[in-house]
Parts: sequence; C-alpha cells; structure tokens
Amino acid sequence: MVTRIRPLRVGVPRSILHYEYDGAIARFLEALGIEVVLSPPTNAEIFLAGKRRVIDELCFPIKIFVGHVAVLADQDIDRIVIPTVVEHVNGRVFPCHPRSRLFDIVRALGVCGADRLLAPAFRFDRDGLTAEGFVELARQLGISDADAERALPKTATPAGRSDRPDDLDRPTLAVVGHPYVVEDPWANHQTLRRLEVLGCRVVTSPTSGPVGPSPDGTGLHFALAARTVALTRIFDRDPAVDGIVFLLPFNCGPDGDIARHLTQTTETPLLTLVLDELQSSAGLETRLEAFVDLLEPARVGAGGERR
Amino acid sequence: MNHFTFSWGTNYIAVRGLLRSLGHDLTTPPRITTSIAERGIACAHPFLCFSGKLVLGQIATQLAQGERRLAFMSSLGPEACRCADTSDYLRSLFADYDGFSPHRFGGGNLGGALTNLRSHFGPHIRKSQCFRAYATFIGKVDLLHKVDKRCTRLRCQSSAPQQVRALEREALERIDRAPGPFALWRVSRWFDRAANRLPLRDEPPALRIGIVGGEHILSELDSIMAVIKGIAEGGILLDWRSGFRMLVHSDEKRLAPLKTKCRDYLHEAPSTSEIFSCAHALDFIAEEYDGLLHIYAFGCMPQTALKPILQRIATDAEIPLLSLAIGDRFAEEGLEGRLEAFIDLLSARKSQGVTP
Repeated sequence: MVTRIRPLRVGVPRSILHYEYDGAIARFLEALGIEVVLSPPTNAEIFLAGKRRVIDELCFPIKIFVGHVAVLADQDIDRIVIPTVVEHVNGRVFPCHPRSRLFDIVRALGVCGADRLLAPAFRFDRDGLTAEGFVELARQLGISDADAERALPKTATPAGRSDRPDDLDRPTLAVVGHPYVVEDPWANHQTLRRLEVLGCRVVTSPTSGPVGPSPDGTGLHFALAARTVALTRIFDRDPAVDGIVFLLPFNCGPDGDIARHLTQTTETPLLTLVLDELQSSAGLETRLEAFVDLLEPARVGAGGERR
Repeated sequence: MNHFTFSWGTNYIAVRGLLRSLGHDLTTPPRITTSIAERGIACAHPFLCFSGKLVLGQIATQLAQGERRLAFMSSLGPEACRCADTSDYLRSLFADYDGFSPHRFGGGNLGGALTNLRSHFGPHIRKSQCFRAYATFIGKVDLLHKVDKRCTRLRCQSSAPQQVRALEREALERIDRAPGPFALWRVSRWFDRAANRLPLRDEPPALRIGIVGGEHILSELDSIMAVIKGIAEGGILLDWRSGFRMLVHSDEKRLAPLKTKCRDYLHEAPSTSEIFSCAHALDFIAEEYDGLLHIYAFGCMPQTALKPILQRIATDAEIPLLSLAIGDRFAEEGLEGRLEAFIDLLSARKSQGVTP
C-alpha cells in the first residue's frame, strides 16, 4: 500500500492581524507552497467559542480572535499561526497590549496545544510587517531563508481599492476604525451594509492611497489609533465625504482616548458607534438612520443646491 | 515657578524634589476622595482605566483651584501605558482652562531626560543642575519605595502597628524635606535605626501573601491600598516588589533576567508592567507564599492581558489567586469582604496542610 504524505496544513485566524495586514501572512504561506486554512468568516458560533474562554474584561475583538483559533484548533490542521506583533521599527509606536499578547493569551487559555502554535515575532513600519518576521515564520516551518526571501514579494499588499465616490446624489459616508472591525461584517454588526441600504455610498479607504499601520504626524503611541486619526483627518478634508462613522469596539482603550479628540477636531459630522456583543440591531439602525437624516440638510447648500 | 501634579501614592514627593532642585516648587496634590474619582469619571471616556480617571479627577480639581502648570513624569519607554505622554489628550480634555500647560519630564535615557528638562526650564540650566535634580528624584523614589515596603512588613511583624504608621508618616515628611542626595542618605540611616527599634511580635506571620499588579493602583495609598495594608495588621505578611521604583529603573539590562524567568508564560514583547507582575508571581510561588493577590485598575490594558496568564500560572502551581479589578464601582466594603473570604480560604488550606 502506498501512503500519501499529506502536505502541511497551516491555519490562519480570519481576525485581527489577518485584516490589519491585509492577509499578508496567508499570502506568504501560500507562496511557500503551504496549504493555508483560513478560519470561516466570523459568525455567532465563532464569537461564542471565544467568549466562553476569554475573561469578560478583554475587548470584543480579542474574544472574536480566540473564537477563530478555537475553530481552527478543532480542525485537521497541523499548525496555527498566532504572530506576536512587537513594535514599529522606530521603537516608539506599538500595538495595544492585548494585541501584542495574543499568543500568550491563547496559550494560557489552553485553546490548543502550544506545540501546534507558530508564534513568529514581527515588527512593522509604515508599509506593513517587515521581512524578518516572515523569515522567522518560515524557519519555524523548517523552510530555508532563501525560499522565504523568494516568497516575500508575493506578500505585498494588493493594489489599493478605489473608493472614490462617483455618485454625488447619494450621501457619502466614510467608515473608520480598526480594520478588523471595519472589514469584518459580523464584528461591525453589518454597519456598512446597513448604511448602503439607507442609500449611502460607503468608503473605507481614501483616494490618496492606503494609510499604513502607523502614519506619521499624529504623535500617538498606539499604531491603530494613529491610523484612525490620520484616516479621519483625510476624510475630514475630502469635500465628497458628507459624514464619518467611527466604529469603536467595546473596551478599546486607545480608541476611547481618541474618540473625544476626533469629535472636537472634526468638522465633518461624526458618529461614534461603540460595538459590543450586546448590540441591538434596532437601536443601531435607528442611530444610523438619525445620522443619515441629519446629513441631508448639510448636503443642501444655499438656494437649495446640492453641494 | 509653581507646578501641580497628580499623585500615584507618594510619587509626587519625588517630582517635588526634582523641581525644588531647579528652584521651582510643586503643590501637594489633593487626597483621592469619592468626589475626585467622580470628577475624573465624568471627564474621562468610559474605557480609560480607573487609575487614569483618578488622575483626571485630580487634575480637574486642581485646575478649578487655579493651578495651570502640570508636571508629570514619563519615560515614554516601552512601559508607557496609554496614560503616558498624553499632553495633547490632556489639552483637549481641559481646553476650557486658559493657560493650562502640561509638562512631561523624563526621557528614554539620561541624555533625553536632560534635553527634556532644558526644553522646559531653558538652556541656561546647567548639566550639573540637571544631574542633581534627577539624582534627587531617583533617590527619593528609591527611599519612598524602601519605606513603603518596610513599613508594610512591619505592620505585620510589629506588636505596635500605630508606631509603624507614625514612623511612616515621619519618614515621608523627612524625605519630602530632604534637599538632595546626601540628606536622603541621612534620612535613610535614620529610618533604618527607627525601624529596627520597633517592638516585634513573637509569632511568625499567620499567612504570607504576594501582591502583583498595576504599579499605579499599588501605589494608591489613600483608600484602596489602605484597605489592603489594613490586613497586614492582622498578622499577615504582605509583599509586593513592584512600584514606581521598578518603572524608573527599568531598562533592558534589568528586564532581561525577568523576561527569561517568564518565558514559559510571556512571549518577547516590549512591555514592563506584565513582566514585573509575572516574574514576581513566579518568585512568590518559588518562595512558597500562601496565596497571590492580583490588583489592577479596571481597564488597564497590560494587566488585563496578563490576567488569563496569571490564572494559568496559579493553576499550574496550585496556588490560590484572587484578582481584584478596582473600577468606577469600587467600594471599600466589597473589597474588605472579598479579602476576608480569600484570607479564610488561605487559612483553611494552611490548617489542613495544603501547600502550593
């Protein structure tokens, strides 16, 4: 009998870092010829799998992340990647503490055996994760540095999406916040879809190109809070944007810090939505409707002309 | 020029020492009270940690009293929590107060700290003045730490706890008055002699509890830690090894052995508070303490991330762990009740011969 050796299967949680770095880790693994198993899009079952394990005080996205790892751990997967994102190469900008402790939290909670976890340490710059972490990940999989270097160009972020609003008859709303909230429909309670149903055009990235994980000029120490501030400033200056919706996951300290600052310094109408697992869809829809209604008079200039 | 600051315990004494060395002064911050906490809660966003809310409450109270120049210490190093380097954030919170100016002292290293002082007080400040100011600051931080730890131990060991409290009060006053490093050395000698003269109990401590957690909450003396320290007078030895002294002295060389100790539980990451808490918990376990007490401000990101890890450590070592999150709904009665239950549990284990 011939025994066929199954290729290595590596799980990647479709959460936090996957969204934050545009799937770069999954693309790198695929470029190395590894079978990548991405956990399914977030759903209630995944969230509950995380919530059951995680202490209440940790933020909403961490509970979702742990749920994704738990789902992967139950599958026929050899290893699961939980990178440790350490800091910006400049040593002055950091991920928040729970995000830099994802591996430690998963290990301590016993979500899956530590021997199945891959935990390369990454640093980042304004363009994303730097090469050293990818090389370390490859080493942990027994792959040579040369092969890793060859795979690296394929991790580059795909060409930026153009969200340029082309229909000025509809109100244009920019949605800002952590990528793993803005891009995960379950985590944001379908906020983007709800806005579209209300007749809005939704943009999440500026026409000037993607904003990296740690844009310069904000003076903030937390990477994603800096990104949110930078994005909001860009949208605030864009005359095509009628309103900004800031998605703030429950118990996020860095974003809580900037919420008031954004409200005080943004001229475009801004709605801050705190998202948690207890969100009522009726309440959310009412708030979105009220915000969109509020924008209508502002969009009509003197003489009844649209802006 | 007069400044004001917030108090995390007695650290304001060290900040005042630094300013006085440069010919300036600092107003004593108000004691933490319910109204100050409520004021902070009102002006902070809800996800800010409780320590941060207490700080904002103290700042708002003093601004209302006419103070304008805020002085605070932060290295901006890897230990920096979200409360550090928040000058812009503070300005946006207190924009209604004309003339409010937050000044952050300290730096990632000595050179940065000297540059920082000159940027505040002008280039005419001599290097030797800056050195003396920082030497005074660090000397006071060290001595405050020593007095705090020794007096907490003495509350358990001494048969006259009221004398311990009096000694602690006098020591704090002498440290505050000491103008420089030599005077601090003399205060330290005086304190050692006075502490050695205190009468001691005959019996050993009934229990030994190791405390880990957020430095800012562990330094808070007026209410939270006053309750915690109160249990020491019942013959229970309390020990904690962190505090501002650890933050002031933290650098890679000092952190490296702690990180090595923690490597089964903590991955390499640029943080300090978690490293201290994790390493000290492992030390207490190695030294066969009876229980671990984890105290942190609700909303503190490093300590919240650490909580499941400490639970794993306690499970692995089979040692009781009580986690106390101090938040907006903090009530002394509830804290006392939980502590009493924890102590009863530890006493029962000990009487049954259960050891970690």
